[in-house]
Amino acid sequence: MSALPAASVATLTSLPPGLVWTAGRLARPTRKGWTTGFPALDAALPGDGWPRGAIIELISAHPGIGEIHLLLPLLRRAPADKWIAWVAPPCLPYAPALASLDMPLSQLLLIDVPDHAGTIWATRQALASGACHAVLAWNRHVDAAALRRLQLAAEESDTPLFLFRPPAAARQPSPATLRLQLVAAHDGLDIVILKRRGPAAAHPIRISVNRRLNDLSSHALDSPDPARLAPAGIHTQCG
Amino acid sequence: MPLQVFTRSVADPGSLAVVEYRPRQRVVAVSAGARARGVEPGTGLAGARAIAPDLELKERDPALEQRTLAEFATWAGCFTPAVSIDAPDGIVIEVSRSLRLFGGLPKLAAKLEKDAASLGFDVRLAAAPTPLGARWLAEAKPGTLTRPSSGWDRCLDSLPLHVLAADPAVSRATIDLLHGIGARSIGDVARLPRDGLARRQGTSVTHALARAHGEVPDPRPWHHPPERFDARLVLPAAADKIEPLLFASRRLVTSLVAWLTGLHAAVDRCCLCLEHEDRPATVVHIITGQPGRAEDRFLMLMREHLAVLQLDAPVEALRLSADTPVIRSACTPDLFGDPGQARDAATLLLDRLRARLGKAAVRSLRPWPDHRPEHAWRESEPGAHNLVQSRKGLPRPAWLLPEPRHLPSIDGLVMLAGPERIESGWWDGEDVRRDYFVARTRNAALWWIFRRLDRPGGWYVHGYFG
Repeated sequence: MSALPAASVATLTSLPPGLVWTAGRLARPTRKGWTTGFPALDAALPGDGWPRGAIIELISAHPGIGEIHLLLPLLRRAPADKWIAWVAPPCLPYAPALASLDMPLSQLLLIDVPDHAGTIWATRQALASGACHAVLAWNRHVDAAALRRLQLAAEESDTPLFLFRPPAAARQPSPATLRLQLVAAHDGLDIVILKRRGPAAAHPIRISVNRRLNDLSSHALDSPDPARLAPAGIHTQCG
Repeated sequence: MPLQVFTRSVADPGSLAVVEYRPRQRVVAVSAGARARGVEPGTGLAGARAIAPDLELKERDPALEQRTLAEFATWAGCFTPAVSIDAPDGIVIEVSRSLRLFGGLPKLAAKLEKDAASLGFDVRLAAAPTPLGARWLAEAKPGTLTRPSSGWDRCLDSLPLHVLAADPAVSRATIDLLHGIGARSIGDVARLPRDGLARRQGTSVTHALARAHGEVPDPRPWHHPPERFDARLVLPAAADKIEPLLFASRRLVTSLVAWLTGLHAAVDRCCLCLEHEDRPATVVHIITGQPGRAEDRFLMLMREHLAVLQLDAPVEALRLSADTPVIRSACTPDLFGDPGQARDAATLLLDRLRARLGKAAVRSLRPWPDHRPEHAWRESEPGAHNLVQSRKGLPRPAWLLPEPRHLPSIDGLVMLAGPERIESGWWDGEDVRRDYFVARTRNAALWWIFRRLDRPGGWYVHGYFG
């Protein structure tokens, strides 16, 4: 498609931004997104951050690879009168860890649902209410119709929905605005952008999460820090 | 009125007749469906059965009529504080001071009719400067709206004679006598010499005429809205489906909201009883997060509650009750957006989720000062601020497994940090002695694993670093 005459390319580029979008460029939404807190990731996303009212699919094989750290900068910024809804998380979010990561725990809304339909219902209610800063939902099976409804609810209420899905979902089409595949790496998290409003990303983006833990590895085992890693608790016997 | 207490709870009452057995068995009122089949009020019971064998019969319930009229009077309290019950089937409201607020008499009348319809009542309405005049007009010429200008009472003259019968002081014999001497309308009676009429019939007729024309005062007792809201709605046919129940509960909620509006109050809970024929009533408690009187909010919560309700038996009647209203003035909409609106949306979401999923399914978490990981958190009420500061510095996973999972081997795991000895809990029998490590798996996930120091030992994974 490089047959466009040079003159018309010049005309296109002289138009005001936002009027014409060519597929080779990143889309520039009229409103900037929420910054992710990771400059490398911001640079690769249209709107320089998480889109405001959209589904963001996060596809990963198993929990425990840094997905919470990826969202932490956004969750920390929740205004005091909005919830952070977690719908049907795979395990128990561990309160001491989240508190020490400065997540506003009092705004956490942990929603247990009985079945698959309940997950969709609760997610949609959380989105439609407009009372959530962000909605995080874990759902193994979600059909295209439900996804479209969720996308509409997210757009109308201007609330981002982070939908965690298994790797098999990566092959299915989805109306989500942004689809990211999360792959654990030794010193952080590789983010493969499967879909965005813009050209396909050339290579994964490496962000560093759990840096403190990975730093620990350099010295923890051979020279444990007595101040930090001393045995905790009340000792009944010397052992 | 005898009919409307039954028909207001359903969209289409079908063929329904309200009957009374004393002083004689007869049909008192019929629904439109029954009238179309030829059943008329006044027909004997046997005759009505012969015309329409499948006619639905309900016995007249004067107590219910009385309570419904009181409920209706309470509802009218959102238009004016001056409401009076005009038994057996009317209310008189004094609207002259409310006209400006509602944009004039015709607009107010239209709104009254429309709102009464949303309550399930079909009203006949008339306005006049005197209560009795308004009553007569509503009976004989519904829709007449007269104003206090000179000569307004001329329109009373053309009313038929039988309107006088509504006054308990005027006996049947009096009306028959007036009819016998050729009087056909109120005007004819008014032209009769008054002292002669008074001599023959006592003063009842002349007194009624004087009250209707405003020549003598006609004081009425005001209706005071009850302290506690309690409205009962009888279904003409038992229902076990959600839709008819929702329809009927909407009537009750409309009435509840009118009661609150009249009191300038709000409630944060109400109780819906679904009455069955031969078993205890099903009780649904509807709790909103904060006091309010928004109709759609009550309805939405009611819908969620009814949607998950398992009914064992068909419902015969519904009863909605609420007490302890909190006085609250109406909120004025803010030009620049209401700062309380976001908070309101937040509690609304919480109410809605809990109505459908149950209270325990929506919660929040907080850390708890205990060294044992399984005990280091507690559930808490969403929105409640916790005071426990968690310690920083020690590696803690974002996900905790409900039960530690046994690891057959730790081959392939790279220990990044540890050991951290956690040894605690001797006082409550859930003693733990463990060495915790942060481990990296082959596919680079971070796990929180421990080695049991007590028998039988072994390695377990207890959490994932998110």
